[in-house]
Amino acid sequence: MAEIVAPPANPPGLQKVHSAPTFTVAGPPAELVRIPLVENNHGPGWLSDTIAGIIEGKTPRWWWYAFIPSVLCLTMLMVMLTYLISTGVGIWGVTHPTMWGWAIVNFVWWIGIGHAGTLISAILFLLRQRWRTSINRAAEAMTIFAVMCAGIFPVVHIGRVWFGWWLLPLPNSNSIWPQFRSPLMWDVFAVSTYFTVSVLFWYVGLIPDLATMRDRAKNKVRQFLYGLFALGWTGSNRNWSNYEKAYLLLAGLSTPLVLSVHSIVSLDFSVSQLPGWHTTIFPPYFVAGAIFSGFGMVLTLVLPLRKLFKLEEVITIRHVELMCKVTLATGSIVGYAYAMEFFIAWYSGNPYERYTFMNRAFGPYGWAYWIMISCNVVVPQLFWFKKIRTHIIIVFIMSIFVNIGMWFERFVIVVTSLHRDFIPSNWGYFKPTWVDICTYLGTFGLFFTFFLLFIRFLPLIAIAEVKGVTPQADPHTVAGGAKVGGIH
Amino acid sequence: MKTIPPPCPEPESGPKYWRSLDQMADTPEFRQWVEREFPAGASEWTDPVSRRHFVQIMSASFLLAGLGLAGCRRPEEKVMPFGKQPENYIHGLPEYYATAMPTRSGAVPLLVKSSDGRPTKIEGNSAHPANQFLDSEGKPRKHSGTDHFAQASILSLYDPDRAHRFTKGGNEINRQLALDSLEDLSKKFTPTAGEGLAFLLQRNSSPSRARLQALISQKFAKARWYVHEPIELNLPQQAASLAFGKPVTPSYRLERAKVIVSLDCDFIGTEENTAQFARDFAAGRKISKSTDSMSRLYAIEALMTLTGANADHRLRLPGSAVVQAAALLAEKLLGAEGAALVAAAKNAGPLSEKQGAWISKCAEDLLKNKGASVVLAGHRQPLSVHLLAHAINSALGSVGTTVTFQDASPDKLASLADLVKALNGGTVDTLVIVGANPAYDAPADLAWVDAQHKARTVFRLGYEQDETAALCDYQYPAAHYLESWGDARTFDGTLVPVQPLIEPLFGGLTELEFLARVAGLEQNRAYDIVRETFKGLAGGDFEEGWKKFLHDGFLANSAAKQPALAPINFSVVAEAISVSAVAVPTRDSLEIVFQRDHSLDDGRWNNNGWLQELPDPITKVTWENVILLSPKTLADLGLAAQDHISGKSVVPRARLEVGGRAIEGPVWIQPGLADNTAVLALGYGRKRTGRIGHGSGYDAYALRTSAAPFVASGAKLTATGETHDVSTTQNHWLMEGRPIIREANLSEYQKRPDFAKALNLEVPVFPVSSEPTQKAGAEEPKPLYPNPLDEAKKTALHHWGMVIDLNACVGCAACMIACQSENNIPIVGKRMVGKSRELHWIRIDRYFTGGVDEPQMINQPMLCQHCEAAPCESVCPVNATTHDQEGLNVMIYNRCVGTRYCSNNCPYKVRRFNYFDYNRRPLDQLYRSPILMSTEGEWELKRWFKNRDRGSRPEDEWELLKLVKNPDVSVRMRGVMEKCSFCLQRIEQGKIAQKIKATNSGEMGNVEVPDGAIQTACQQACPAEAITFGNVKDPHSSVSKLKAQDRNYSVLEFLLTKPRLTYLARVRNPNPEMPDYQQMPLSLKEFSEKNGNPFESHGEGHGESEPHVEKGAR
Repeated sequence: MAEIVAPPANPPGLQKVHSAPTFTVAGPPAELVRIPLVENNHGPGWLSDTIAGIIEGKTPRWWWYAFIPSVLCLTMLMVMLTYLISTGVGIWGVTHPTMWGWAIVNFVWWIGIGHAGTLISAILFLLRQRWRTSINRAAEAMTIFAVMCAGIFPVVHIGRVWFGWWLLPLPNSNSIWPQFRSPLMWDVFAVSTYFTVSVLFWYVGLIPDLATMRDRAKNKVRQFLYGLFALGWTGSNRNWSNYEKAYLLLAGLSTPLVLSVHSIVSLDFSVSQLPGWHTTIFPPYFVAGAIFSGFGMVLTLVLPLRKLFKLEEVITIRHVELMCKVTLATGSIVGYAYAMEFFIAWYSGNPYERYTFMNRAFGPYGWAYWIMISCNVVVPQLFWFKKIRTHIIIVFIMSIFVNIGMWFERFVIVVTSLHRDFIPSNWGYFKPTWVDICTYLGTFGLFFTFFLLFIRFLPLIAIAEVKGVTPQADPHTVAGGAKVGGIH
Repeated sequence: MKTIPPPCPEPESGPKYWRSLDQMADTPEFRQWVEREFPAGASEWTDPVSRRHFVQIMSASFLLAGLGLAGCRRPEEKVMPFGKQPENYIHGLPEYYATAMPTRSGAVPLLVKSSDGRPTKIEGNSAHPANQFLDSEGKPRKHSGTDHFAQASILSLYDPDRAHRFTKGGNEINRQLALDSLEDLSKKFTPTAGEGLAFLLQRNSSPSRARLQALISQKFAKARWYVHEPIELNLPQQAASLAFGKPVTPSYRLERAKVIVSLDCDFIGTEENTAQFARDFAAGRKISKSTDSMSRLYAIEALMTLTGANADHRLRLPGSAVVQAAALLAEKLLGAEGAALVAAAKNAGPLSEKQGAWISKCAEDLLKNKGASVVLAGHRQPLSVHLLAHAINSALGSVGTTVTFQDASPDKLASLADLVKALNGGTVDTLVIVGANPAYDAPADLAWVDAQHKARTVFRLGYEQDETAALCDYQYPAAHYLESWGDARTFDGTLVPVQPLIEPLFGGLTELEFLARVAGLEQNRAYDIVRETFKGLAGGDFEEGWKKFLHDGFLANSAAKQPALAPINFSVVAEAISVSAVAVPTRDSLEIVFQRDHSLDDGRWNNNGWLQELPDPITKVTWENVILLSPKTLADLGLAAQDHISGKSVVPRARLEVGGRAIEGPVWIQPGLADNTAVLALGYGRKRTGRIGHGSGYDAYALRTSAAPFVASGAKLTATGETHDVSTTQNHWLMEGRPIIREANLSEYQKRPDFAKALNLEVPVFPVSSEPTQKAGAEEPKPLYPNPLDEAKKTALHHWGMVIDLNACVGCAACMIACQSENNIPIVGKRMVGKSRELHWIRIDRYFTGGVDEPQMINQPMLCQHCEAAPCESVCPVNATTHDQEGLNVMIYNRCVGTRYCSNNCPYKVRRFNYFDYNRRPLDQLYRSPILMSTEGEWELKRWFKNRDRGSRPEDEWELLKLVKNPDVSVRMRGVMEKCSFCLQRIEQGKIAQKIKATNSGEMGNVEVPDGAIQTACQQACPAEAITFGNVKDPHSSVSKLKAQDRNYSVLEFLLTKPRLTYLARVRNPNPEMPDYQQMPLSLKEFSEKNGNPFESHGEGHGESEPHVEKGAR
């Protein structure tokens, strides 16, 4: 794809009308015609109205139906965490030898989900994948909320939460520093950096749209608040120029983070010497898995939104198909990694290693392993078929399978490796308690509360950017726009 | 210093000194003071566990602590602060007192640590003659091993649920009033010479009690004496006395034996005096090189015991068929003179052909080792088996070599059955029960409760508020042995003192005081009674002798005499043998074997949390008893018990019925059990006990009759359809063919002395050593991240290391309790154990190898390995676990935030986590959030803000709990990881002591701790001396010498963690002629099946890796 993302010809806030072309030019041959990213040849005004209209319009009833249970779930999370911190980690199912249970599974799972947003906004941006504009805003919001959910777990899973700040390298009178050899230490840096940069990136991308919202606001409060966060955006060329630079820089900064954060999370496991954890394949395999689960979650979120807000013309079938292809690719990488783990376990000749993998597939937790294999390896293979890729309901269902599969992948890695390791007398069986389950469900409350607030108060599609990828924004197309190699 | 009488909680007329707290309380000045300062608080005196009471106790015991040498007591002036610093008292330094724990037939000589006036740790008294022995090299050695009961007994002292009230008809009465009742009792019976007075005692060896008994019998000539022990361990003595025609007790010298045969005698686990047995047995099994010889043990038993696990050959027979084995052995071994005896024994019937062959070969082996062989019979077997054993020993020429006999006092006490007869006959007016708890543990057919009601008045001295206490008219709290004056004789007959380390916490009485008061004797203070007895027993300067007696903890040369014995009288023995034909148990007519519980004995330790949580060494079940059945029986009955593969332990409950009585309990598969045999452990299912024992297990006494006390037949088992969750500390019983415990037969070991290392796994080839090479110019590749310890090793004076000899370890678990006591390890309760959250720093791993019917069982103590390259350290994000220069992997509790990563990365999984605040919170309320809890009427959060150092346990529990803690070890809060520290506190104390010694002697540089000066708690308690700790830098230290042995190996050596704890591989000594002979131990066979025979394929793939491993494993 050689297309260049062109900046919008005019600041979106000011562009109210456009005129249809009055002369005809011979178009390119049919096979070279690109399917437009926004269907039905809608102009910029329509886009502004449609996307901003979601926020400005009346709150739909379904929103309340979703919001109230989410808030209740969030309350449950708060209750569970209070119970946990006041009573002790023992209320969870973690035991000896399975000292890490659902908390770490959930942490890795949420972090994985948090991958797609930044991948879509940063890497696809750098790769000039213009289709990303329809989904990047929602995906980034998803990233931020997912990382928030993820961040809760490593903090509260420790025995003495009130001393969690000891993981930070703070100067103190005893000159005690954190232990920089520990992967948990690296996690602290990796996750907090990732979160900070993701928030910044998301916020910078929001500024032009916040200005649009400010300009469209019909009451003082909205105007003030959107105006406050729009940081005095005027849409001047200088604004745009600075904005583009900042955005590009942040994209450059985020790109390595996308790869690093999950690599480092995977080091929590691979740095240890536990069979099933101690594997060099983990960093790439975790990143692929994270992208896989992130796209799964984006699909899960975007497909209903598209329908409910009638955004089918902006988030088109082509978008869905492309996301399905990414899912297929990453799912296959993950499947390859599973096979490779088995091969290496056999090839190593280490009986402990071999036992761990046999036990994974055929031991007491075999059921979890086969759920993982079916959801992560078998199900995505259906995306080879265009019929399936373009069938919204099937894609939605499959995206949920991907989410389930990836949760089980983390469960399999964490729990089955720990529950039977070197010395058989230690072996045990891990069972979650109701608190584990409620805490996990509670994080959905947190996630959806924030996400619902986000779609209610912020434009869930980057208005300015989508306008930039419409044919109308390109003065050299039939609709009039710049040529390839134009300004960027 | 003149010895002044010690405290006695007994007011006397016109005391010159305060002799007790009560007395002090009784002085008008003191009362006035109390009332002036806290008018309302004065009533607290009646509350036995109020804070104030504790202040008194503590101040009182504070004084005791300052007494310097044991027994040299200062005049008792109870003033709270020290007016004058007591001689030799240094605040914070513990004092040690010699005392003894009385047992049924003897005593365990002890040295007890007292920290600021409260006993905190129990050790064996290594000065006692029974603990002196010659090691394999013939050098005199001492040992201080004890059994787990002695180690755990300290917790019972601080048991908040022990009897602490004087009651009449269940209502609390004034102490004085209760004592007056005793006086009335003696007055009442004086005119009638004790007509209608009956005493029910427990067995003990106290000469003072015997003297007192004689005195009372003089005064109350018509009073009758009975004894009750639910588990009678007196049979060897009875049998020996019968066989030799005079009262003698046998004692066995297993270290001298080459061949040992156990006839259902679990001398390592559940017989009397197991610590001694374990030491002697281990002494015969220890070898230092492949040319050494070792003893061979044959075990014949119904249940799987520790003895069976340690045996080279094990024959499983129903409990009732052991007599057949004994008869067959007698037939093979006794000559013509024993013909009558053999004929009498043969009534039992023949064994199967295979079993017969086993016995015959065993008999041949015994004959080959005449004079160096011994046969032991266990307490579960009837007198006939004991008599046969004595006859066999005599025929083998073992008397005087492996079996010695010493004088004993004849048994003059009548049995409980006689007492019941007397009670039912209406001839008992007043019954005085001292200690025994027949309402719980009397045979079911005696209907004790009804019988007891027939006595007009029942007085009872008891340690607990138990079943019997509830039925008595008067109940007196008994003093713990650490609060009492008394005496006892150890198994060799040596006289030992029982001296108090603390005033009775609840004003309890000792047995001696109680009996003296019942009889109305002038001399009714235990101290005086004991001194009087001592005067009679010891010659020489009395005061000096007494002081030495208390200081040393024994009276020298007071061991019982070994009389010259006439040859065994075979005709008398043959007459005494009564054997009837043995019925083979079947599925519908099961045989029941009642077992003395490894943890609770006969139920006396029921409320001891350490023992309740101590896993059974065989089943690993905690907090309850289960109905043990063999896998085949269980399958025959159509029941499925625990799944040892997935580790789920939800098992069916079943109803066991015999003779019209029934119990209900969970069934449990026990590999190696005789088929159609159900094994029931006694001591659980108490109806009235404390908070700890409440609700643990079922009561097996309900099935037990006086006719069949240990083996009952004709039982029927039916499933109830319910299930039961059993908590075990080890769910998986297979070793999966992994070389974790390494063992070989002696013959293989002789061929391949390095067999242990041949099982090493190949390690990746890369430089593992960063030590500079000596060769000039040679450049060895340096590791990327050199281990800082390698640098520190060059300068550190000590490199601490440990060796555990798996050949000596018998699996008795004394180390577990010793560790728990030394290191303030809390108990976590049944529910937590069910979640594998127990906190034991040292555990005994147990594996069954081979089939489930005839398995071999192997043990391995597992604790922190103190790896030089510790995987736990590098993953801790806050540096809470690090290495010190001397090679210890140290844990900094204050720094730990509880990520638990260290545990995940520990290949040995020896780190334990405080999931809850086990120390501060009641164990049954762990899951309740403190935010919603209130304790004693006050909201928990408010209590916490008021005083953060207070727990949410009830006040009485909390105050007592604090006393048992070792002040040298931090008590861990919730959310922190903990693990074995190699008893860091002891190491530091040893180093400081050596520094002081060096300073005092002028040799300032001599700060290297001498070998053996520092002992870890587990090492000190180990009766088998399987654990050796010391400085591995010193090549002459015993630990270094052991590490140099060819059997030395480290577990999971291929991970290159370089543990400082290594093991000496186990060597079995089977007899190749036996029908069940195995070419190699079954664990090795399993290993070979998975990995190929390590001895055959050697030299191909493994050769190159070995030098690395050896380097790594050191």
